[in-house]
Order: sequence, then C-alpha cells, then structure tokens
Amino acid sequence: MTEDAPLLAFDGVSVVFGGRVRALDDVALTVRKGEVVGVVGESGSGKSTLCRVLVGLTPPSAGTVSVGGRPVRALLAEGRLAFRRRIQMLLQDAVASLSPRMTIGRTLAEPMAIHGLPRDEAQARLSAILRRLGLAQDVLSKFPHQISGGQARRIGVARALVLHPEIIVADEPTAGLDVSVQGELLNLLLDLQREFGLTYLLVSHNLNLIRRVTGRTVVMYLGQIVEDAPTRDLFAAPAHPYAAALLSTNPAVDPDRRHRRIVLQGEIPSAVNPPAGCRFHTRCPVAQPRCSVEPPALVDLGGARRARCHFPFSLDPLRH
Amino acid sequence: MSTAGPSLVSIRNLVLEAATPRGTARILRGIDLDIGRGRIVGVVGESGSGKSSLAACLLRLLPANLTRLGGEIVFDGTDLVALDEAAMNAYRGRRIAMIFQDPMTALNPLFTIGTHLVDVVRRRHPGLGRADALARASAALASVGIADAPLRLRSYPHELSGGMRQRAMIAMALLVEPDLLVADECTTALDATVEAQIVALLEGLRRGFHGSIVFISHHLGLVAQLCDDLCVMYAGTIVETGPVADVLARPRHPYTRALLACELDDHAHGGRLVSIPGEVPDSVAAHVACVFAPRCTHATPACRASVPALRAAGPDRRAACLRLEEIA
Repeated sequence: MTEDAPLLAFDGVSVVFGGRVRALDDVALTVRKGEVVGVVGESGSGKSTLCRVLVGLTPPSAGTVSVGGRPVRALLAEGRLAFRRRIQMLLQDAVASLSPRMTIGRTLAEPMAIHGLPRDEAQARLSAILRRLGLAQDVLSKFPHQISGGQARRIGVARALVLHPEIIVADEPTAGLDVSVQGELLNLLLDLQREFGLTYLLVSHNLNLIRRVTGRTVVMYLGQIVEDAPTRDLFAAPAHPYAAALLSTNPAVDPDRRHRRIVLQGEIPSAVNPPAGCRFHTRCPVAQPRCSVEPPALVDLGGARRARCHFPFSLDPLRH
Repeated sequence: MSTAGPSLVSIRNLVLEAATPRGTARILRGIDLDIGRGRIVGVVGESGSGKSSLAACLLRLLPANLTRLGGEIVFDGTDLVALDEAAMNAYRGRRIAMIFQDPMTALNPLFTIGTHLVDVVRRRHPGLGRADALARASAALASVGIADAPLRLRSYPHELSGGMRQRAMIAMALLVEPDLLVADECTTALDATVEAQIVALLEGLRRGFHGSIVFISHHLGLVAQLCDDLCVMYAGTIVETGPVADVLARPRHPYTRALLACELDDHAHGGRLVSIPGEVPDSVAAHVACVFAPRCTHATPACRASVPALRAAGPDRRAACLRLEEIA
C-alpha cells in the first residue's frame, strides 16, 4: 500500500438481494486514512448495506471493496480474524449489545481471546483502554444491569477498540440517545479518532451530528451515491436536488437560521422496481424530460465534490 | 400561558404513580399546565421525562400497574380525573383525539382505511348514514393530501406507505373535530423528507382547525417551528413553560439552557460538543429536592433540600428553579 493510496475503496459495488432488490447500485467511494466520513440517506437508501459490505458480512454481487489496496474477498480468504481486527463495528444500542449474563470483564476479554491475544497482553490492553475511557477497574466485575447508560456506551466503545482496529464503522451511534448525553459520546469518538489515527464511516439520520463531526458527507438515495462532498461545502450549498431537499428538512431552533423547507412529493420508491433514468426524477422538483430517460453518472464537479445529476445546482455564487 | 380568556385544559398537581418490582415509580410528580384555546403546545423532554404519560393522562389511557392518579385535569369545566369510565368514553374520540407515533401498530391490519374512518365519523355523528359517512371520510383523506381518496378508502394499512398511513391517522383525528388533539411523536417513525411533508401538512391544517394541539416531540427544532407555547419536562415535572420563541431565545431554567446548549445545530464546527453530565434520576427515588439538582451547575444545598415551585418568570413565563433571579 503506497502512502497516498486510499484506505477504503468501493469500486462499482452493487448488491442485489433475491435477484431483484438492488440495495446498492454501482457505488464508487474512496476513503483516506484518518478521514471521518458521514453517510446520510433515508431508510432504504442502502446505508446499512454499505456498512455490511465493508465489514464483509454481505458479499457484493458486483464490483470490489478494497481495504488498504487489497480486495476484502482476498483478505477474508487469507484469514477472517486478521481482517476483522482491522475493521470494527460500533453497535447502535450499547446497553442492548452487552450480554446480560456476562460480566463487563468477560465481554471485553472475549474478542481478545477469540483473536488469540496472550493473556498478559490482553490484560494490559484492557487496563489501558479503561484508563483512557475514564472507567474504574471495578467495572470489570459488574454485570450490564449494574452500570449506568453512560458507562455502557463507553464499554461499547472499549469493546470496539481493544483489538486496535484501523477503521470504525458506526451505524447510528447516537440513535435513541438523548441530546443531553450524545455530545459526551461524540467527543469521545472524535478524541479517539485523533489519538489513534482511526478512520470512521459514520451512518446517521441526524444531520446536525453529521455536520458537526464529519469532514466529508456521502448522500445516498435508492442504493446510489447522489452526492459526495466536503461536509462544510455540502451544507453550505448542496449540488444535488435530493441533497438540497434532505438538508432543508432539518429545522433549526434559532428562527433566524431557519431556511426555506423543500417539501418533496411522494416517498422513496421501491428498490425492487426503481424508476428508469435518474432514480430521483419521480420526486425531483427540477426534473427535465431527459431525467426520466437517461441515468446520470456520478460526475466530478470540482472542489472534491461529485454529484449524480444532469442539472446540478450551480455552486458558483455560493463558493467560498 | 398567553391566551385570551380561560384555557381549554387546566392541569393542576397531576400525579401519576405505578407499582414496579423496585418500588413505586413516580412517573408524573405534580404537573401544572394550561393549554390555551387554539394554541399548539409543544412538550419536549428526554426519554423518561413523562411526556407520553402526560399525553396518556389526557385520554386516561393508562397502564394497569397504575397505583395512583391524583390532581385534576379540568377540560372545558369538567375534571377528567374524577370521571368514571363511561363518562370518560364520551370524551375520547369525540372531544379529545390522539395521533400515535407508529401508524402501523395504531391501525388495525384487518380493516380497510375506509372502515377506520367511517367508524370515527359515525361515532362523532351517530345519525349519519353510511354513504354520507363515506363521503366525509373521502373528503378527509383528500384534505390530508392523499391522492385518489376513494381508492385508498378500500386499501388495507399494509398497502399504504408509512407517510400515507400517518396521513390517514391524521385524517381520523381530524374527523373527530376534537377540541383537543394530542400528537405523541407523530413524525418520529418517518423518514426526513416524509416528516417534512407531515409538518407542512400540520402547518396547513392550523388554518382550518380551531382546536388546541399538544405536540409531543424530542425534536426542539420541529417544536420551535410548529408550536406557539413550549413546555419543557424533566423527570416527571415541568421545569419551564412559556411562548416558544421567547423560551428558546431566553431560557430561564438551567435545564432548558443546558438542553439548548446540547443542540448540535450551531455554526461552530470542530469545537467540543456539549452534554449534561450525569443521568436522569431514578423514577423510584423520593421527590424531596429539585429533580435537576444532581446535574445542575448552579445547584446549592437549598436546591437539594426542597422541591422548587413552578413560578412566574416574566410575561407568560414560568420556571421551576429556586435561583431564577440569581442566575438570570
């Protein structure tokens, strides 16, 4: 792997379930080491399938996913455990993801035992990670019902980190969390990212969260990437009409900062029978006749931005 | 709250307790709230703050392990808490209607949308014939933006999309022509672009609907956009109420301030994110102090020694904090 080669690369990745449901369609995406990339989209847009393909839980029907320049398929064939050590998933509901029958100590030691770490090495890692996350050693002897929700969330992070992964895939890490505690978790994740040079793929419905913590955002619609841009630029001026509509649905508390809401007609169509041409043309407020016939490609618009649209919004007046 | 004339609903010292294996859970710890006529009152708070329980009390749809329902809910001159079951039924689905969070579980899968709507119409207007009831149901579906209403009346819930089901639920609630509409997280289960459609629909309906709405949500931005008044709940109590723009611009209670500081939608990118240290208090704990004191940066020994009353904090504003004046 050369110095500037991407750490993650999706190349023409499609996933078809049951021969009919195109959950992912020709996804091309590269992520450099140390990037924090957000993935947004509505249910059925393929966010979770993207995560599953990356961690090797769902094989792609077409295309290649590479980690560190080597296809995931080859990495899995060489050794499942070695591959899984590199990518860890942070699960959505921290409390529910802890087994109620196991002490926290056993829960945290289990992955290290499975991966064959020597006992004293495992012990050292465990102590180090607990210290880093501000958890007392006595938490190890407790059961999940004996710890607080905040502690459970940190245990979830600890479990993802004990194997020293390079990549963390977080699927809705703050879903179900109250706003009063989500900041603490996000601060922790960002600190760890900087300290250990981790790469994050962060899936969320929460647009405010994506805007605050990611450097780049990928917007998905019906299994396709419709826009991929630096987060700041995307929120300042989306190029794709769907991205514009999605971002406009997020009402701000401050009335001075509330923008005009774009209300789309209808709902996200079925992935079994997606619209011909541009998949978004049935709901697009600026669709032209060409859009219903000719599928647009994901085109580079400059400024590290790509969009899949025949008529992307002009970015010039807003470029800064 | 700011209303001309008496309010539609006056809730006084509403207490709700339930038996749990760990002891008595204090779900609502003395709620005082007025709902003005024609006002939309947004109720916000974290999980476990009692928002949904408050909604359930308004309809008296309460769980069986309930051990105590105290205080009063005076609805247009009648105390709902004191009514017997039969008398309460005269209010449910006639003068008070509810839109539930998940339309898939709230609609009966064995009946068509038309059956659901016609049932509501004939309950509200017992003398009405079936054809007239169907016509009204059809008009109601059209009014909530469902195309091809006569066809949709014959559809079963599973044949509709999530957004259409929630529209049908709203049509059912509106057919009741209620004086009070309770919407409990009615957009939470929907996708963002569909949520925007439903919010636009609710905003549009305000012009034709003269009743009051209690809009329960954990989404402050949504409440700020849609509601007139705001009620902030924490651990089974109301900590602050007032006109929504005023409360959000100048929060008085430390909890409201902390909650607003936790919102992620400010401009600062890359800065530290704010959270409120600590956890929501245990519902079985005794209620002898300010419920927010353990997490409050302004708390003093006095805050841990007595329960602060919800008291005046400016025009149409009330807040439950001992130190309102000092920390203003």
